[in-house]
Amino acid sequence: MSDAPSTETSQPNPQGLGALTLESAEADYGATGFHHRHLAAPESITRIANHFLAEGYVLEFVTAEDRRFIQETKGYEDETPAMRVAYTFNRIASPDRHLVLVDLPPEIPGAELPSIASIYPAADWHEREAYDMYGVRFTGHPNLERILLPEDADFHALLKDFGRPDAEVQDAGEHTNGVRASDATAKGGASTDGGTTP
Amino acid sequence: MSQKSHLGQLSEHVREDETYYLNMGPQHPSMHGVLRLLLHLQGETILECKPIIGYAHRAHEKMAEFRNYVMFLPNTSRVDYLSGMISNIAYCQAIEKLCSIDVPERAEVIRVIACELNRIQSHLLWFGTFLLDLGGITPFLYCFDDREEILGILDRVTGSRLTYSYGRFGGVTLDVDDVFLQQATAFVKRLRKRFPMYESLVADNVIFRERCDGVGVITKEAAAKYHVTGPSLRAAGVAYDVRKAEPYGGYDRFDFEVPTRTAGDCLARFEVRMAEMEQSCRLVEQAIAKLPEGPFGPPKLIKKLKPPKGEFYFAVETARGSSGVYIVSDGSDTPVKLKLRTPSFSNLSSMPEILAGTEVADTIAIVGSIDVVLPEIDR
Repeated sequence: MSDAPSTETSQPNPQGLGALTLESAEADYGATGFHHRHLAAPESITRIANHFLAEGYVLEFVTAEDRRFIQETKGYEDETPAMRVAYTFNRIASPDRHLVLVDLPPEIPGAELPSIASIYPAADWHEREAYDMYGVRFTGHPNLERILLPEDADFHALLKDFGRPDAEVQDAGEHTNGVRASDATAKGGASTDGGTTP
Repeated sequence: MSQKSHLGQLSEHVREDETYYLNMGPQHPSMHGVLRLLLHLQGETILECKPIIGYAHRAHEKMAEFRNYVMFLPNTSRVDYLSGMISNIAYCQAIEKLCSIDVPERAEVIRVIACELNRIQSHLLWFGTFLLDLGGITPFLYCFDDREEILGILDRVTGSRLTYSYGRFGGVTLDVDDVFLQQATAFVKRLRKRFPMYESLVADNVIFRERCDGVGVITKEAAAKYHVTGPSLRAAGVAYDVRKAEPYGGYDRFDFEVPTRTAGDCLARFEVRMAEMEQSCRLVEQAIAKLPEGPFGPPKLIKKLKPPKGEFYFAVETARGSSGVYIVSDGSDTPVKLKLRTPSFSNLSSMPEILAGTEVADTIAIVGSIDVVLPEIDR
C-alpha cells in the first residue's frame, strides 16, 4: 500500500459526507460537544477521511470502545455487540466537530478496518494506541506496534474482560467504585486468577 | 528498526554500515520526562527518529472505568501535572456540561485566576528547563523563584502545590480571601518587572539565538497533519486557542489576545510562551477586578451524578495545547469509557518528521521547545 496520501481521492465527496456514511445526524453541541454524529461502515473510512482532509479538517483523535458485552448493561439489552472505533474530525477556523463511529465484529482478534495513517499522519499514533489497548487492527498501517504497553505484552489493557472487575475500589470517604454486578459475573473468567492473563 | 524508515528510503549516499543507532533517553538529563528517542544517525545527522513512549503509563483511562466520576477527580491533575489546576478544573467543567450543573459566577472567576496562575507557572518551568537544556543554568533559578510565589499562593488556598483537587462539580472546594487576591496582584506586578530581565539576559543572548533561530521549523501544514496545538501551533502562525475557539468557563468575559509568530522555529515558540505569560497576567488582573460576591460552590455537594447516555467531548486550552476528555456514558455514575486526548501526544508525534535531516545537537532544543510532558502522553 502506498505511503503517500491518496491524492486522487482527496476531493470532497460530490454528494457530501452523507453519501459515505450509514447514518448521519446533527448533534447537540451544547450537550455533547459534537456538532455531528455519524455511523459508518469500515470499508468507507478511507473515503470519509479523504473527504474531511479535502475540506480542511484535522483529526483530533482515534480511539476504540469495547462493546462486546454491551447487552449485559441495563438499558442496552437490544444493542448489537461490536468493537467500536471512534474518529473525531474538527475544523480550526471555526469549530465543527464530527464524531464518526465504525462498528466492527465483536472479536479480538478479528476486528479490523483500514488505517487512515496515510491520509492523516496524526492517525499513526492514535491507531497504534487503539491497537495496543483494544486489539483492533488497522490494515495498511505502516508500523502497527504497541505504543504504551510493553512490546511483549500479551494483553489488551482496555478490553472489558481484562483486569479485575470484581475488585472493589474504595476510598476513605463513603465513595465506592462503579463495580456493577454484571461486571463481576458475566465477564469471561479471566479475572479469577487476578487478571494476569487475558 | 527497519532499514527503510516509513518516512522514506535511505539516500544513495548513505551506506547502511556507516550509520548507527543512538538512544537518547529514557534516562537523560535533558530528555523531558521518560522519553526515549531512538535515533538512526549518520555522523551527526538524524536519518530517522523513533520516539518510544509508555515508560510513564499509569493506566488512568482504565482507572476511570472502575471509579465513578467523583472518584476520578484526583487523577485528573496527575495526567498533565504542570497544568494540574487547568486539567482538574477542565474535568469539572466537562462533567458540569455533561450533567447540566450550574456554576456560580464567583466560582468561575476564581477558576480563571487559578488556571491562569497555573499557566504562568507551567510556562515559567518550561522557560527555565528549556534554558537549562541549552546549557544556561542561571535562568532556571530565577524563574523557579517566580514559580515558588505562585505555588505558595495556590498552596495557601488549595492545600496543594502541584497536583490539585481544587475543583468540585459546581464550583471550587474552598473560597479565596483578600490575602489571596493581594498576593496574586503583587505577583503579577513582580512578574512584569522580571520580564525585561528575561528579555535582555535570555532573548537577546547570542548563544540562545544561534541555537533557536531557524531551528526545528514546524510549518502550519506540518502542524495540521499531526493536529499540533498550543504554542507550537501558534508559533507557526495559526491563531487557534480553545479559549477563543470554543469558549468555556467564562473566558469570553475577559479581554486577552492570542499571541502568534510565523517562523515556527524554536525561537518563535519561545516568544509565544513569553507573550502568553503577559496575556495570563492580564487575565488574572481582570479576573481579580471582576470577582463578584456570592457562593463559590454548589448549594449541596454533588455526589451522585446522572449523566445522559451517549458520547461526549469537552476540550480546554492547557499550557501545551488542546486537552480534551471523551466520555462514553451509559447513564450510570461510572463512565463506560473515558479517553484523555492530550496535546503532548499529538505534538510529539510530529517529531519524527521534524527531526529527520536535522543535526543531533539540535534535538534537545527542538524537543524541548515543543514542551512535552510525558505523563500526559503516556497517561
